[in-house]
Amino acid sequence: MEENLENSEWMKGIKEAGFTTPSNYFEELNDSIRARMITERLRASVPVDGHTVPPNYFEQLQLNILAKTAKQITASRQTKIVRLWRSNVLKYASAACFVIIAGMGVYFNINEQKATQNNNYTETATEQMLFDIDEEVIIEHIEANYKDQQKPTAKETALENYILNNYSQNDLTGNL
Amino acid sequence: MKQVEDSEILEKFSNIKTRDEAFNLLLNKYQQKIYWHIRRLVIDHDDTDDLVQDVFIKVWKNLENFRSDSQLYTWIYRIATNESITFLNKQKQRNNTPLDEVSGELEETLVASSYFDGDKIQMKLQKALLKLPEKQRLIFNMKYFDDLKYEEIAAITGTSVGALKASFHIAVKKIETFMLNEDITF
Repeated sequence: MEENLENSEWMKGIKEAGFTTPSNYFEELNDSIRARMITERLRASVPVDGHTVPPNYFEQLQLNILAKTAKQITASRQTKIVRLWRSNVLKYASAACFVIIAGMGVYFNINEQKATQNNNYTETATEQMLFDIDEEVIIEHIEANYKDQQKPTAKETALENYILNNYSQNDLTGNL
Repeated sequence: MKQVEDSEILEKFSNIKTRDEAFNLLLNKYQQKIYWHIRRLVIDHDDTDDLVQDVFIKVWKNLENFRSDSQLYTWIYRIATNESITFLNKQKQRNNTPLDEVSGELEETLVASSYFDGDKIQMKLQKALLKLPEKQRLIFNMKYFDDLKYEEIAAITGTSVGALKASFHIAVKKIETFMLNEDITF
């Protein structure tokens, strides 16, 4: 009677009531047990890995590591930080020099830009004016200026006679 | 000999007068554990020697800023693991070795090593481990040789306990298969 009660579906429900397991627990449990059995058997045959170290290796290793850390401490102590600005006077003087140099740079740069801009404006204005003046007016202006130039007083025939009388043909061809 | 508590080491390290003493205590407590943890990953003794020194120099430099929200040994193990994996990755890049051939190189190092005196079954287990992917090898070593709990391994590797268990089970199955194929019974 008692046995029947243990195996009944109703009793199973009582036993599991309220308890849960992680998902896939029973599938993984099988693998876990199997892996555990293999490793236990293996451990009985192979308890250690077989690797070795030279004699007194670990004593030496500790000394080597401590020597390296000591070297680092010495290096960090020897690395002195040199202050760039030892006094306030030097600091302010340097700052003032910097401001003056930067100011001069800005000033000359602006002036140079202005001069360049002015030249560019003049050239453009002249070109524009010439373009606006009528061609005939320009021709008349040039001819009027040409008339004002000094003309030779002797006539062309008199000049020819003078040359022919005073220079031979060889002189003329030689000077050409 | 009574093991000194991590909290005591940290407290002593925070005082400049007892800093050297604290670091000595830390080295006494952890240097061998960290050495073997690295050695099982990189196999070669000389490479391990360089790495373990680098790890403890890093620990010494950063211990002042260590926050007690993680455990000291977890933090040191994490540094050691990262240094070892970085070293192995650099080795792969330097030798232009494809990922699946790395185990071959490490196996050669193991066989040629003058600091391995394991018997036949120990050598087979090491060879079986070198056939595993790096992460499975790391997890197996920490569980099998260092006897760490899954929660501790999770804190070191930043992997969930569930994923660690799955990786460990797969690693154990692969090792068993390898050993049986090599006619090794245990």
